[in-house]
Amino acid sequence: MTLLYDVTLRDGNHALRHNLSSNFVSNYCEIADKSGVWAVEVGHGNGLGASSFLVGKSLESDIELLTSARNKLQRTKLAVHAIPGFATIKRDLIPAIDVGVDIFRIATHVTEASVAEKHIEFLANSEKIVHGVLMMSHMIDMSGLITQVKLMKKYGASAVILMDSAGNFIPRDVKERVAAIKNEIEIEIGFHAHNNLGVAVSNASAAISEGAFLIDGASMGLGAGAGNAQLEAIVANEQKEKNTDRGIQTFLEMSRIVENTFPGNLPRTTSSSIESGLAGVFSGYAPQVRQLAEELGLEVSVIWNEIGRRKLVAGQETMIREIAQDLMNL
Amino acid sequence: MTKIRVAIIGTGNIGRDLCARLCLDDDFEVMALVGRRPDSPGLIEFEDKVPNLFSGGIEELLASGILVDGVFDATSAADHKLHWSLLQRNNIWAIDLTPSKIGKPFVPELTGKIEGMAIQQKKLSNYSMVTCGGQSSAPLLYAMASNSEGITEVEVSSSIASLSAGPATRRNIDEYIQSTENLIEIITNCRTVKAILVLNPAEPPIMMRTSVHMKVQKFNLEAMINSTQEVASQVQKYVPGYEIAVQPHSPTPGYVTATAKVVGAGYALPEYAGNLDIINAAGVETARQHYKFHAKVNGVNL
Repeated sequence: MTLLYDVTLRDGNHALRHNLSSNFVSNYCEIADKSGVWAVEVGHGNGLGASSFLVGKSLESDIELLTSARNKLQRTKLAVHAIPGFATIKRDLIPAIDVGVDIFRIATHVTEASVAEKHIEFLANSEKIVHGVLMMSHMIDMSGLITQVKLMKKYGASAVILMDSAGNFIPRDVKERVAAIKNEIEIEIGFHAHNNLGVAVSNASAAISEGAFLIDGASMGLGAGAGNAQLEAIVANEQKEKNTDRGIQTFLEMSRIVENTFPGNLPRTTSSSIESGLAGVFSGYAPQVRQLAEELGLEVSVIWNEIGRRKLVAGQETMIREIAQDLMNL
Repeated sequence: MTKIRVAIIGTGNIGRDLCARLCLDDDFEVMALVGRRPDSPGLIEFEDKVPNLFSGGIEELLASGILVDGVFDATSAADHKLHWSLLQRNNIWAIDLTPSKIGKPFVPELTGKIEGMAIQQKKLSNYSMVTCGGQSSAPLLYAMASNSEGITEVEVSSSIASLSAGPATRRNIDEYIQSTENLIEIITNCRTVKAILVLNPAEPPIMMRTSVHMKVQKFNLEAMINSTQEVASQVQKYVPGYEIAVQPHSPTPGYVTATAKVVGAGYALPEYAGNLDIINAAGVETARQHYKFHAKVNGVNL
């Protein structure tokens, strides 16, 4: 069966403006450990070492959050997301190894796998499970995508996860990409969806049907922008389609604890998220765009389109103000 | 008038751009360009402009008997360690453009403005040019910190065009972060610091941008804005494409942020390579200041 990878406590932290508490991590992990998900990813929305003015400060440190998760996870593996340029080996990866993280996902923008060389090599040499992640994977053509996957494999990643960080894909796009990679390269492929166009769960199913070995999901879809593929819905769909039985009740319990704890933070596919999805812009920019649109009296859609036109990648939050200022001066 | 006799080691993007700009600078005489391969495109490019082209590394330069005052090292951190031990024996100062951290971190426009940032008394010195993020944030850091009291946290985030980040930059992204963070500490005296680097592959390539974020108890925003302009105009003397893209502003209490933009001067590199332009321009300016200081000490007119 496809492995389920739970990003509620990492991507979901975007929706919580990085205010996730170790108390909630602890409560959630206690249930998740019984669910059969392969791994729970924990941390700041942008991963290890990313708590910053640029992308938002974490309420609690990476180590505090990871320690609470570690204490509750017996069966389920503990995972982290780390982006070179934010996270360093010495300051972030080594302490995470020390605290007992099992799986490391080293993420780069889809065209920039080469910045992950040292980090992936280091983890592979440390005999940790290390996966490469290609973010904003809609921003490259197929042959470019294959080149980048090959690089991550060469550095030592045992799997590569494609992230549709902007929620720009429809199921056809996902199928084409997963199939093309599987056809060319011998490597395990995973997929991470966002729900900007309302098809996150369908995209996840499409990836599964093309042979993805792992699928990312979040309880209640808790994630950046319009949120991720809803984990409990992935399980329900799979149950109907393939007659699998993962025991959905535990997933529903995980869903309820998220729903009841964060009623004001649950993601929705709003007009703004559809606009950002079509423009192919990183979902995590939603709070900044909303705030600037309000402050400067601009239309949200005008800002989204301009960000899309300038092809911003994740981690360029400060440019949104510059773009908004330029729009004011037009 | 005596010219500053220099050699450039390394024929990659940084070395080529340095060579092109030094050849056009009247204070300098480029005695040699040093590479590792005879067919290096960087060496061939300067056949008519530089009198001595060596493909046998620094050893060939030192064995040639050509006299130089100083060397610009645009190779790698590991190579620079070896180079510096050889240079010291030959009494040649070094401007280090690698992230080796052997030399003293130096930002030319901050000379004498902060403690410890000064031309070294010893003629046989090694200056580290830190990183592009360090050089481009330094003016903002200085202007903002000098109009603040009680700085509790500082962060520098830079975004650069993917095309301007060569293989060495990519492999050494952790070293980039550590070196930049070290410079932030030196300039602001704050111990809670963070550096972030984002590569952007957009076409046409983006211009480099560096933002400074500061958490501070007390500050004078108007004075900050004025001194940012002032120090930026000093940087513009040697980096014409340096400008303040977003003035210091305080969107929430106790927090100030500003952004600088660097358009490259385009010697051997395209305009989008402002990150390489600023580090090279700083290297040339440092060499000039160092040479002039010691020429004066020795009573030589430059």
